[in-house]
Amino acid sequence: MSVWERQYRDAVASITSPVTLDDKILLQARQFKPVRSDNRWLSKAASSCAAIAVLVLLMHPAQYLGALTPGLQSTNGAQQHPLRNWQHKPSQPAQGIDPWFELRSQVNAGSYIELCNQWRQQQRGSIREKLPRDLESKARAHCRLLP
Amino acid sequence: MSWKDFHHLDDESLLEYYHSTRSPNAFRQLYARYKDSLYRYCTQMNLTGADSVLEALWSSLLESPPQLHGRRLRSWLFIRTNSLLRNYAGQDPDSSQPAPMQDNKLLAGIQQLPRIERNILLLHMECELPLATVADIEKLSLKKCRELYHQGKERLEEIIHGSHRRPWRIEEVEEVTI
Repeated sequence: MSVWERQYRDAVASITSPVTLDDKILLQARQFKPVRSDNRWLSKAASSCAAIAVLVLLMHPAQYLGALTPGLQSTNGAQQHPLRNWQHKPSQPAQGIDPWFELRSQVNAGSYIELCNQWRQQQRGSIREKLPRDLESKARAHCRLLP
Repeated sequence: MSWKDFHHLDDESLLEYYHSTRSPNAFRQLYARYKDSLYRYCTQMNLTGADSVLEALWSSLLESPPQLHGRRLRSWLFIRTNSLLRNYAGQDPDSSQPAPMQDNKLLAGIQQLPRIERNILLLHMECELPLATVADIEKLSLKKCRELYHQGKERLEEIIHGSHRRPWRIEEVEEVTI
């Protein structure tokens, strides 16, 4: 900015738009109503409904069904907390289902007498049920030298 | 959107926002940016008609905000003001003569310039329009516009400081002897 322009800026600094003119024009501007957007109301209504729904869900008694305060828990164990021991325990293998359970248990315990008896009977063909494969292999390994 | 949120918007975005929402705050911000500059330009071009011209300018903007199509709002405002000033001077011949501003020597000097030089000088200096736009407004070539601008500046300096007269100077030449 040259010296001459700076002198001009200083000279006109005091010349400002008069307040009466400003008021007149701004008053005229106020006559134009701002555009009301429906989306704003829609969003307000939607957010209100969502807030109410969350409150209802939080306050609904179904949230607390089955929940007992510690003081009300029965001491005899008849009514246990439903969430206690909620994990399924691994079920023990059913003894009745496996016919070779006892024999397999004996073998696992290190006793091959019964296994070898059955193995010899199977060799002679005097037994109906054949030994399962795992027991057969163990019998071949351990009963060969036995009389 | 609050008052402070408009500060980062440029003029064109603000006008577009006002056009779509008719927000009074947006208009107030826009008005505050240009009111003083427009008033200075109008009063120096036509003191008596300044208020009427500015009212007409802003009411036209309020009633139907201009479609700028990529142009700057600043240019639109001053082109429109210039047009209104010409029309006003045509309707009221008595007001075509600018009122003297005797308070300041520089401002009073600007008032003594011919209308076209004063208009070019003010549009470029006060309104910060490029000379190319000023040339379009005055329907001149850029070269002619630039000439008139410099001519106006020189004339103004002459009005303020007087003509560039140089006194006779006698240069003394001393012989240097080695």
